Amino acid sequence: MKLSGLRYLAEQGVENIWKNRMMAFASFCVLLVSLVLVGISVLAYQNVTSMIGGVEAKNEVIVYMKDDTDEAALSQTQQTLLNLPNIAEVNFYSKDDAYLALKDRMADYDVLFESLGDDNPLVDSFRIKIQDIALMNKTVSQIEQIGTVMKISAPYEFVSFLTQLRTVLSWVMGALILAMVIVSTVIISNTTKTSVYSRREEIRIMKYVGATDSFIRIPFFVEGMITGFFAGCGALLITWIVYDAVTNILNNQATLLNIIGVGSVIPFKEIYLPITLAYLLGGAGIGAVGSAFSTEKYIDV
Amino acid sequence: MVELKDVSVTYSSGVDALEHVSLKINDGDFAFVVGASGAGKSTLIKLLLKEIDATSGTVSVNGYQLDALKKREIPKLRRTIGIVFQDFRLISSMTVYENIAFVLRVIDAPPKYIRKRVPYVMNLVGLKGKAKAHPDELSGGESQRVAIARALVNDPKLLIADEPTGNIDPELSYGIVDLLKSINMQGTTVMMVTHEHELVKRFGGRIINIEGGQIVFDDIMEGTEYET
Repeated sequence: MKLSGLRYLAEQGVENIWKNRMMAFASFCVLLVSLVLVGISVLAYQNVTSMIGGVEAKNEVIVYMKDDTDEAALSQTQQTLLNLPNIAEVNFYSKDDAYLALKDRMADYDVLFESLGDDNPLVDSFRIKIQDIALMNKTVSQIEQIGTVMKISAPYEFVSFLTQLRTVLSWVMGALILAMVIVSTVIISNTTKTSVYSRREEIRIMKYVGATDSFIRIPFFVEGMITGFFAGCGALLITWIVYDAVTNILNNQATLLNIIGVGSVIPFKEIYLPITLAYLLGGAGIGAVGSAFSTEKYIDV
Repeated sequence: MVELKDVSVTYSSGVDALEHVSLKINDGDFAFVVGASGAGKSTLIKLLLKEIDATSGTVSVNGYQLDALKKREIPKLRRTIGIVFQDFRLISSMTVYENIAFVLRVIDAPPKYIRKRVPYVMNLVGLKGKAKAHPDELSGGESQRVAIARALVNDPKLLIADEPTGNIDPELSYGIVDLLKSINMQGTTVMMVTHEHELVKRFGGRIINIEGGQIVFDDIMEGTEYET
C-alpha cells in the first residue's frame, strides 16, 4: 500500500470518530470506566501491600547474647548476622543502654534498682529487622546456630497473622482485579461490536468493491486507538484526582500512620510514570485491537 | 467474460438454488437475466462475486477460475466487477463524491487520478453538481446513478446490475437501462438481473430466463422500444 493510501485510511479513522460520534462517545465512556476500575483496583492492591509491608517493617526480632560475650565476639556476631539471608537491618543494643531504658520505664520502682547497686542483670542484644517475615522461622533457626546467642525473642503470632492477612488480601484483590478485567473486556467487546454492527453495511459495500481486509480494518484500528487513547487520558485524570484525595485523607490520619508507618501510602508522584504509560498504552491498545477484531464477523463476505 | 459449466449450488439447508447451469457471457455483451423471486438469480450473482462457492461445476469470471481462487485473491476479482444493487447501498455518512471516490482508494489509485476520474464519471451518469450531496438528499433515480457511477469508476470489465430499477419509478427505469446500454456500448460487459418483464420486452437483446434454478431460455429477442 502506498503512503498516500495509508494516510487516507488514517484520516478516515479520524473522520469516522466524528461521523459516528455517538458510538465513539459510548466506546470512550465504557473504556474510561473500565480503565478507572481496573487501575484503581491495582493501585489499591499496591497500597494495601505497601501498608502491610509498613507494619511488617515495624517488627523486630531481638537476639539476646550470652552474658560473657566480649566485644570482639559481639562484633563477629553482628557480622555473622548481617551475612545471613533475609536480614534487612542489625542494630546493637548494649546492656547499659537497655538498663538505662529499663530504669526510665520503671522510674516509680527506684528501690528495686537501688538494691541491685552497680550490678546490671541485663545482657547485650541485637535488634534485627528481617526482609520477608514469611521466612522468619527459617531465619530464627539460622540465628539459633550462632554460639554466642543466648535467646531469641520473635513476634511469631503477629507475623503469622500478617502473613495470613497478606495471603488473603492477595487472593481477594487478585480476584477483584481479575473480575474487573473480565467485566471490562466483555463490556468493551460488546460496545465495539455494537459500534461495528451499526456500520456492517459499510463494511459489506467495501468488500463488494474489492477492499482488502486491512483496508477495512485500518480505519477501525485508528478510530479505536484514538478513542482508547483519550479514554486513557480521562482515566488518568480521574485516577489522579481520586488517588490524591484518598492519600491526603490517609496521610492526615496520625493513628493509622503510626500503625502502618509513614511512607506506606504510595504518593502519586512516585507511580505516575507507569500509571500514565499503562493507561495510555492500555487504552489505545484495547481500543485499537478491540475495534479491529470486531470487524471480523462482517468482513467475511 | 463469464462462463459457468454445469454449475450446481446446494445450500446447507438442502435447497438446490442452481442445478446444472451452463452459461457464457462474452466480453462486450449485454444480457438480461430474468426470473421470479427464488429462481436463483441472487445465487448466480453471489457465485460471480465469489460470495459463495459452487457445489459442483466450474465458474470463470474475467479470467479468474473461481473454484481455484484463494481467499486473499477475492478482492482482485471484485475489482474487475462493478456491482449495482436494487437498494443502492450507498454509504450514508459519505458525500456523493466520496461514495464514488472510495472505490478508487480501495485500488490505491493516485489522488490526482481520483480528482480527475470521479467528476468525469459523475458527469457521464448525469450527476453534475451533486458532488457534495449526501445520499439522503437524493431521489431514487439519483441514488441509483451514484451506485452506477461507483460501479463504473474503476473501469470494470463486467458490470452486474441487480434489480437496478426495482426501487425507482418506471419512467426513471428506462433512463437507468439506457445508461447501462450506453455503458455497454463503450465496451463494458453488462449483466442486468431483473424480474420486470415489461422492461426487458421494451429493450430486448439477450435474455436469460432462470426458473427453479435452471436456465429455461437463453436467446436474443427483438425489443419494442423503437416501435412506439
